[in-house]
Amino acid sequence: MIKAVETNEIVKVYRGKQEIQALKGVSLSIDNGSLFTLLGQNGAGKTTFLRIISTQLLPTKGEAFVLGLNVDTQEEEIRQHITVVPQDVATYGNFTPWEYCYYFTLLRGLSKHEAEETSKKALRSLGLWDQRNRTCATLSGGERKRAVISSALASDAEVLMLDEPTSGLDALARREVWSILRGLVKRGKTILLTTHIMEEAEMISDKVAVMHKGMIIAEGTPERIKHLSKDRFRVAVEGSLNDLGMNEDDSNTVKLGNKFLIYYKDEDEALELVAKALKRGMRAEIAPVTLEDAFVKLVGGDGD
Amino acid sequence: MKFKRIKDILVIASIKSVPDLKRQPLILLLLGLVSSLPLFFIIVYGADISHGLVGAMISTVSFIGLTAAIQDVAYDRFLKMREMMVAMPVHPLSYALGVALAPLILATPGLIFFGTISLWIGALTLPSLFWASAVLVLCWATMSSIGFLISTYLQKAPPYVLGNIANVLGLLLSFIPPVYYPEEILGTFSWISTIFPTSNATSLIRVYTGSLNLPFETIVIRWSVLIIAAVFFAALAAAKARWREP
Repeated sequence: MIKAVETNEIVKVYRGKQEIQALKGVSLSIDNGSLFTLLGQNGAGKTTFLRIISTQLLPTKGEAFVLGLNVDTQEEEIRQHITVVPQDVATYGNFTPWEYCYYFTLLRGLSKHEAEETSKKALRSLGLWDQRNRTCATLSGGERKRAVISSALASDAEVLMLDEPTSGLDALARREVWSILRGLVKRGKTILLTTHIMEEAEMISDKVAVMHKGMIIAEGTPERIKHLSKDRFRVAVEGSLNDLGMNEDDSNTVKLGNKFLIYYKDEDEALELVAKALKRGMRAEIAPVTLEDAFVKLVGGDGD
Repeated sequence: MKFKRIKDILVIASIKSVPDLKRQPLILLLLGLVSSLPLFFIIVYGADISHGLVGAMISTVSFIGLTAAIQDVAYDRFLKMREMMVAMPVHPLSYALGVALAPLILATPGLIFFGTISLWIGALTLPSLFWASAVLVLCWATMSSIGFLISTYLQKAPPYVLGNIANVLGLLLSFIPPVYYPEEILGTFSWISTIFPTSNATSLIRVYTGSLNLPFETIVIRWSVLIIAAVFFAALAAAKARWREP
């Protein structure tokens, strides 16, 4: 079966005063009708990867296919089937959300009638119908972002490539977008999303790939990624660990101000620590490890 | 496919002009006003207004052709709208022509105004209007192509820098060569007007309005230069333009 996106050892080198190897042999396979998230720190190579498969940028080495079409040689065919929302996209101040949807769907080859219908649906689904005739200059940052996303949703493309689409959105707007994206996947669309918001990746992805310094270092369902971290539970304790007879510099302990996160493989051990802390009048809580915990462990916590 | 490309040109031209027309109609006045300013001095100093009207039409199309090609492309790149466009089934030529066509739509009322006055005072006749239109289109095509070339070569420059370059270059090409003044003033150096697309176009229109007498061979050379410049810069802009980054 043809994959929505398939790449084989993609390398990208930016040549300039300083040569930067942004991608170091990225191989990925994304199923049709799924939501795939590329997770990584800023500068990990997510945007470069997205720009290559969305036919904006040529790879230095390697092969990439979208719906079985080669990004090197069949870019025009690929563009019939994809839509892109770039990272930090800004809006024309004198444009309305309606104009975004309507004109951009016309450019995708839809008739005027179809463009009107899909624009109506997209704007309603993103809660922008009442603001459809207001210029972007008068909208909030989140509304402007939604105006651009709505133009992508209205496109009815088979593969949506969204580069950090919810950055800058408030919690409610972000959840609205998540819900719409899952709805699109249910309708058979494929979505490739990049994000550094762990909660987003965990909540909506069918599969996640963790990208670090231009390489894929882990891939699988969010649950699988979480299990790559050997620890299963996390205990958060406020106060000094020395009072509990523990070493604050232990490799399984992370200090966040006056709060400590201690990771455990065994649930009983974690519960024992919580009970001990509560007896001493300290605040303590236990939770399963999150994708963020696993991510931090995977990338080694080095920010460079 | 060809129909889609033509439709895309019109959609992109609409994107770049209709919202402006709807929400800031004063832009129409502004576009005409910049080119009309020299007319004020021409009238005050009692010079030939017909010459000023030709200059106003030429400077309108050259200024908008140049600035739109530089500023709009830079602005789209800055807003990342270009990234959205590249990933769409839109041919780069449709994008370029749409961007170039949009300011022409905005400038049309001004051009009609200058053309009507020229006809009314007898500076233009109906047959010369045909030739003047052809010259204006070639001048617009040349200046737009030069604009696209500049925006291609200065891809990394911020939009405000490109905006300044566009404005300065537009003004220089409208006011330094003989656009608002007759090339005869330059005496033996009147051939200089052939070099600049703006002044070459002005002189050709003047030939058809009867205010400039040139030998037939010179007229042929002037037309050739205008056409070759338009084709050369358009071909160069198409060859150098990068829709997809390497």
